[in-house]
Amino acid sequence: MIRHLFTLIWNRKRSNFLLMSEILLSFFVLFAVSVLLVSNYYNYRQPLGFQYENVWELDVNPGQDTTDHKEMLRLLVQRLQSTPGVVAVTNTSTNTPFSFSNMDTNQYTYKGKAGPQTERYDTDDETAKVLGLNVVAGRWFDRRDAAATRPPIVVNQKFAEKLLGQEAPVGKVLVSNDGKREWQIIGVVDTYRSGSDFASNDPAVFDRRALQDTAFKMSNNEVPVLLVRVQPGSGAVLEQRLVKEIKDITKGWVAKVNTLTENRHDKLKVVLTPMIALGIIALFLIINVALGLFGVLWYNISQRKAEIGLRRAMGATGAGIGKQFLGEMLVITTLGVLGGMLLAAQFPLLGVFGIEPPIYVLSILLAALLIYILTAVCAFQPSRIAAGIQPAVSLREE
Amino acid sequence: MEPTLTKSPLLTGAPAAILLKNTPMIKLLDIEKVYHTDTIETVALNRVNLTINKGEFVSVMGPSGCGKSTLLSLMGLLDEPTGGTIEIDGRAVTSYSDKELARVRNHKIGFIFQSFHLINDLSVLDNVELPLLYRAGMSGKERRQRAQAALEKVGLIARTKHFPSQLSGGQRQRVAIARALAGAPEIILADEPTGNLDSVMGDEIMDLLLGLNRQEGTTIVMVTHDENMAHKTERLIRFFDGSQVS
Repeated sequence: MIRHLFTLIWNRKRSNFLLMSEILLSFFVLFAVSVLLVSNYYNYRQPLGFQYENVWELDVNPGQDTTDHKEMLRLLVQRLQSTPGVVAVTNTSTNTPFSFSNMDTNQYTYKGKAGPQTERYDTDDETAKVLGLNVVAGRWFDRRDAAATRPPIVVNQKFAEKLLGQEAPVGKVLVSNDGKREWQIIGVVDTYRSGSDFASNDPAVFDRRALQDTAFKMSNNEVPVLLVRVQPGSGAVLEQRLVKEIKDITKGWVAKVNTLTENRHDKLKVVLTPMIALGIIALFLIINVALGLFGVLWYNISQRKAEIGLRRAMGATGAGIGKQFLGEMLVITTLGVLGGMLLAAQFPLLGVFGIEPPIYVLSILLAALLIYILTAVCAFQPSRIAAGIQPAVSLREE
Repeated sequence: MEPTLTKSPLLTGAPAAILLKNTPMIKLLDIEKVYHTDTIETVALNRVNLTINKGEFVSVMGPSGCGKSTLLSLMGLLDEPTGGTIEIDGRAVTSYSDKELARVRNHKIGFIFQSFHLINDLSVLDNVELPLLYRAGMSGKERRQRAQAALEKVGLIARTKHFPSQLSGGQRQRVAIARALAGAPEIILADEPTGNLDSVMGDEIMDLLLGLNRQEGTTIVMVTHDENMAHKTERLIRFFDGSQVS
């Protein structure tokens, strides 16, 4: 019977071509949606690599103050650190967790090999403590690094894998791509996905910019950002106190306090909105495709009533007719899906968009599964109608 | 009266079958068929009692709308009677399930239609194989051999790869006959098999059916409007307004 179905489909290739094309296009829509869903789900399941609970972000605005910002900031950090309720304070670059700011670079090289596109973070000795970073090799920055001959850096495992491969990262010296600067890796953290819950685990490098180091020059144009780990349960009282401390020390600097939990929610909204919009568009496309398939199958059956009657007369059961129509649809779907798979397989093979090959493979399988479900659902009712057609009536209709 | 014994080779080359000429093959008992619509009730067949014996060639005549085709549909188990009992080869089939009816149609009955009912997207050979597709356990090779043997029988072995659209009306009807023969049925139900053909082609088809009846002992019931064709058969039954009149 399978051979018979293939013969029938091959002999009706002209009329089936459009249907196959529709299935192929639907497969691509579903493939794109699946890539989005699978990659986001995959990322969501990965650890963030830091702890955002009980961490507050203080965006400090010095306004028109012309005094040395670095010195003022150092005093401010000292005061905040001694405030009851505060566990640790760190001065960082503006690309804090869940922020909309980024500082990516591809300046790092190792033995002539260019490094990957990397997010760079300015940190200090307290950052690991504030964010609860998980150091898996070497160590985090401390006072010893002030006297280092080469600026120390800490990298994440993804960066180490991409640039150093299987080599142990700690102690390796990296050179800038213009050859003028060098860094030495002193530690490795496992993961650092600061963008959002759905951000991929991209390469990251942490630089040390400690306020107490004389070598560290800070421009007055820089916007100071502080991250403060507070005792669990701290609330508005501590927030007001921190703002007051800042005002007292700096004489006029303004600080805006947000928790990283709030920032995470804000970022989630921004990330999820286009995803939901895209999902709705995809859903409409799929409904459109489903209605198209449904209509084509319905039309097919009305055109083939005499054939149905004939097959019944030749010994087919009603259920057999239903299965035949469903089978024909599944064979056509398989041909469309195979074509789609062949094209979709180019994405992991060519490494398009930097998405991991297993995500593409999973997405291809998911798209294939969805398209089979879609066609089976669309073919079910027309097939049932075909199964219920009275042979005597349909034979008389021609 | 003692039943007449007829011995004939089957088309498939299976051992010769012994047919009992006066044994009923199709028996209709008090058959009624009423078609209902929202407002109208049409009586197509009114308490028909009819027996077709094994190996008989019977023609059915009557004006349009008298119930001939309905009668053939009921005999072919393509439709259910409103009342009465149908027996095929001694078994009442009225209460059979869809699956059992399909099996009886597949194994015992071959159909020939006025408009041929060939599938235009299948080759001649694939069309003839069609009833064998629904026969469980038959290999593709056996199907092909049977279909080729049937096409040989109707003189179309050279046309196996042609499509119906490439054949004349007479050739198409011969393909339809080959399809009916491929399953080696005991009954052939022909609904105006020469209705769409000219007299020469019609005679050719009639000769084929007569040969089949005489040589293979196949029971044939043929609906026709052509008196000449009808008189070539063993028995002529006339219908009028859903009832048998002779």
